[in-house]
Amino acid sequence: MKNSAVLLPKRFILSVFLIAIFVWSLFSVHWNSDLLHTGGWPTMLQILKGVIRPDLTAEILALGLKAAWITLAYAVTGMSLAILYAFIVGILASGTLTSKTVSRLTSKIFFRGILGFTRAIHELIWAWLFVAAIGLSPYAAILALAIPYGGILGRIFADMLNDVPQEPIMALKAAGASKLQILIYGYLPLVWADMISYTMYRFECSIRSSAIMSFVGLGGLGYQIQLSLADLKYNQVWSYIYFLIVLVLLIDGWSNLVRRGLVERKRVKGISIGWLSTLLSVVLIIFSWVYVTEDVHFLELFSDKNIQYAQRFFGGMFGVGNPHPAFFDKENWSSALKLTIETLEMSIMAIGFSTIAAFITVLPAARNIANGDLTLTKRWYNWILFGVVRVLYIFSRSVPELVWAMMIIFLFKPGLLPGAIALALHNFGILGKLWAEVIEDMDSRPIRNLSSSGASRLQSFYYGILPRVLPRFLTYILYRWEVIMRTTIVVGFVGAGGLGMQFKLSMSYFQYTNLTLLLICYMVLVVIADFASESTRKAVK
Amino acid sequence: MKKWVSIIILAVLVFSLAACSGQNDKKTGKEKKEAKTQEVFKIGAIPDQNAADLSKGMTAVAKYLSEKTGMKVEFVPSVDYAALVTAFQRGEIHMAWFGGLTSVQARALVPDADSFAQRPRDSQFHSVFITQPSSGINKLEDLKGKSFTFGSESSTSGHLMPRYYLMQAGIDANKDFDGKPNFSGSHDTTYKLVESGAFKAGALNEAVWQTAVKDHKVDPNKVKVFYTTPSFYDYNWTLNSNVNDVFGKGADKKVKDAVLSITTQQKEITDFFQTDKFVETKNSNYAKIEKVAKALKMIQ
Repeated sequence: MKNSAVLLPKRFILSVFLIAIFVWSLFSVHWNSDLLHTGGWPTMLQILKGVIRPDLTAEILALGLKAAWITLAYAVTGMSLAILYAFIVGILASGTLTSKTVSRLTSKIFFRGILGFTRAIHELIWAWLFVAAIGLSPYAAILALAIPYGGILGRIFADMLNDVPQEPIMALKAAGASKLQILIYGYLPLVWADMISYTMYRFECSIRSSAIMSFVGLGGLGYQIQLSLADLKYNQVWSYIYFLIVLVLLIDGWSNLVRRGLVERKRVKGISIGWLSTLLSVVLIIFSWVYVTEDVHFLELFSDKNIQYAQRFFGGMFGVGNPHPAFFDKENWSSALKLTIETLEMSIMAIGFSTIAAFITVLPAARNIANGDLTLTKRWYNWILFGVVRVLYIFSRSVPELVWAMMIIFLFKPGLLPGAIALALHNFGILGKLWAEVIEDMDSRPIRNLSSSGASRLQSFYYGILPRVLPRFLTYILYRWEVIMRTTIVVGFVGAGGLGMQFKLSMSYFQYTNLTLLLICYMVLVVIADFASESTRKAVK
Repeated sequence: MKKWVSIIILAVLVFSLAACSGQNDKKTGKEKKEAKTQEVFKIGAIPDQNAADLSKGMTAVAKYLSEKTGMKVEFVPSVDYAALVTAFQRGEIHMAWFGGLTSVQARALVPDADSFAQRPRDSQFHSVFITQPSSGINKLEDLKGKSFTFGSESSTSGHLMPRYYLMQAGIDANKDFDGKPNFSGSHDTTYKLVESGAFKAGALNEAVWQTAVKDHKVDPNKVKVFYTTPSFYDYNWTLNSNVNDVFGKGADKKVKDAVLSITTQQKEITDFFQTDKFVETKNSNYAKIEKVAKALKMIQ
């Protein structure tokens, strides 16, 4: 913070710029009462009634329990494969194994490229591609989860290895250790804790991904939610959503325990959290793999038949034997580009809405404000507000975007707005939770000072809290925008407009070359978003 | 100490992964040998209506077929139309209950597949357009500027033919409605969405509509039919081309005969399909659907 005087205007300009983009995106929607279905509200009320009165009959509970296990099992199998992939490619991408500058750079660029490509595509798109190529096999879901998650993990692993303090490494080098020895005795021990805590955090996300994975026909909670929604049985929808929420909370709790255990490094009497977690992971992984792959042979994936189908599918995507592939057609390009702009607008609207919602709710959600530590004022309603907002956050982030979209589409007419709202509904809880943690971790002394010199709540927020947390807030906004960009295509599947909607239609009509065109547009968008967000994040740091 | 714990976590993760996948290979290898001796004849159906009813009806068909042919028959549910067509293309579904459009799509991918049986009503099939009585919509032209929902994108009676007759009436479904048209996913969802007022109007399969009215699943005071399309060919049983290769010569004839000899004695089946029997049909009956689908760019 030594040169904050220089940085402040930069942040100010950036904030104004981001707000301007958000306002621009709002113009893509014609704002009038026509946005809502005339009969949307009664349907919405029916859906909301299900929140309070979920279907809790024994039959539904049994089904929900089984579906929850399937969801967990796919998440575990997918993640275990993702860790393997991330570990190997991540180390290669960090360039720690190569000594010459040239080979180091090439291996860095090459493997970082692979990681970038694999994480650019959303897991549901991978799933579609795999199902089309190798059929409805559990491996389609496992690979679809493992590939993008491996990509994300691998990149973070590589970053961690690159950020390792150089002194211990130099010491090892000076002592004559080989590259492999430096890796095993130098780099890895330094990053283990971070690697595991980040993996645990990703594991929680993979539960939600695994749930929506079932939309491609592999069973699990998402499948049950979809079936109940198709039959308009909203009380059952909510029963399954509650199962999902509980599952996410359990994993969240576990991952918090592990992370705390790693940070505090305190010996607990009896068996430590680390050992228990190890045991639990092993048991989970073994049971999941046995369950998921029970009656499928891995090598069958590479049977002649499958290779033939995969060839035909990918050949179809590249336009083999198609006299008029969509990606050589001007008209197709212009319509795809229009959808690309729409998708961009949807993502900006979505992050804008979630920012606003999180901004309004974040103060009561911080523990140190609820207990009065930060502002030195204790109000009886603070804890109630804290509870309400935190429950809202949990609902918001536990339900995947796709499920929000499927419900929102009953209220709004198909288009960009329902997509943006569905994305915002999921992300404001995540944003709020991350922001609340920022406030909880901040230095409380300046704020207390303000409060004790008589500043009101609002004043201490504007002059005390906001200036301190804004950079972190901005970082998280940009980071979530990146994630939202990747997910826009998924909410489109259920009629929320943009590239995703067209993707689903092309899939239904088997227009493979059009799929390729849409995927190209989508990937360009994701890469641009990644780049823009990363460079701005560096700028505000 | 914590370092060691974490190293062991990761090491065990990796080893257990390798170990258990090894075990699986052995186990599934054994199972595979058993499976070879008795392949399962898999049937599928487009998920165009209430999932629970569909599963019940199709399971009854599977049971009947396995009694009649001596093969092991199983119903495989699918989440959407395209998934079923893809599974059919891959030969993983041996016989499917398709709609007109999906059968045309499937035969485009599996040229030797055979649409062999239909219900008597399927040669004279209709779609109905529904709306709320107070909406002021009385003919197709009135739909301009109103919100509208189709069924599934791949449905013949819920999308393809309604869109075709809308076009004939001078309405472009992509432009002339209030907003883009919705795709509800199934016929049952369509009338429920119109009943709740979520959409002003919709189009669906006449047979599903009639059942809904008969079983009081829809309130006739809230939804009315204002237009019924001319007739077209729709649903049919389509047999995959790989049946004789997998199940031996003559298997196709056995299955076809079994389907064609379903009578009202198989009450669960005939009730579900709302018919008293299945009659023969042929691929060429669906030429018109193919033409319309090509015109609307739904198949290549």
